Amino acid sequence: MALMPKRVKHRKSQRGRIRGDASRGNRVVFGDFGLQAEQPGWLAAATIEAGRVAAQQYLRTEGRLFVRVFPHKSITSIPLETRMGKGKGEPEFWAAVIKPGTVLYEIGGVSEDAARLCLARLAHKMPVRVRFVKRRPM
Amino acid sequence: MSDSLEVVSRKTTGTRESRRMRREGLVPAILYGHGEKCIELATKREALEAVVRHGGRIVELKGAVKTSALLRDLQWDTFGVQPIHVDFLRVSASDHIKVRVPLELKGECPGQRAGGVVSMLMHEIEIDCTPDVVPEKILVQVGKLELGGVIKMHHLDLPKGAKLRAGSDETVVTCTHPSHKAEEGGPQAGTVEPEVIGRKAAEEGEAETGG
Repeated sequence: MALMPKRVKHRKSQRGRIRGDASRGNRVVFGDFGLQAEQPGWLAAATIEAGRVAAQQYLRTEGRLFVRVFPHKSITSIPLETRMGKGKGEPEFWAAVIKPGTVLYEIGGVSEDAARLCLARLAHKMPVRVRFVKRRPM
Repeated sequence: MSDSLEVVSRKTTGTRESRRMRREGLVPAILYGHGEKCIELATKREALEAVVRHGGRIVELKGAVKTSALLRDLQWDTFGVQPIHVDFLRVSASDHIKVRVPLELKGECPGQRAGGVVSMLMHEIEIDCTPDVVPEKILVQVGKLELGGVIKMHHLDLPKGAKLRAGSDETVVTCTHPSHKAEEGGPQAGTVEPEVIGRKAAEEGEAETGG
């Protein structure tokens, strides 16, 4: 079962636009290395989970993985071959809104080489361009 | 040993001037402290980055002003690639300053060899010390950390004359059994759709008025 909120105020949300860069959640805080988005986009709950599984399989019992994003936004769609109108579609999946600069995942307790390999596997699953980042000195 | 940094005075302030300055390879800076006047400065980005990479916190400013200063705050761009502004605090040898110092693990943890996971719960600590003893980093010796063991703040080797600002009983590093919860299936399966806040109450209200 993919991630989703427990309680929401509204079942459906408007699409919105992703403008600007991330001014929060844009630095490595919990681990030593991270994966930072370079493009805006939606990260589906299933994709977040796929990334987590890929990293966990690589890490096994070593180190720790931190998932820094959560799918707060419900994405709706209307079924195929449906006539226009009749209102908004039903929620199809949940997604996290990603701004450029957002740190998606973090890894701690492993060497830099291992972290690079692990996050490279994870990066292949991401729908946005990402880069490897380290904890900043200040 | 403190690093030296060449600074120039700047007459102009504001977003547009700062951006222009950054395009020219300079980083806007400000110097304050000791109840004296704030001075707007600028420094070369490469030189500043070298100081930060080196881990130096106390710098000797040269050029427009000649004083010792603490690298108090550093602002980065969104991607954390370039510094965009730096704050310097005037310090003298007799001052007691509070400074955040990064922690680094040292040694091979026996608990990790036994299958444990070493977790750093704290990546930096705040200490109170004089400028001449500000360390670049504080080493956390994990050579004797067994599985299930913890290292607390009072176990750390601080430089002479330095004092911890937070409670000395806080945990810095732990070595625990790996959690298998995440591998077993990740987030727990719950309801298909989240609960809508207020919906149940509204429906009940309608039912009552209807009946």
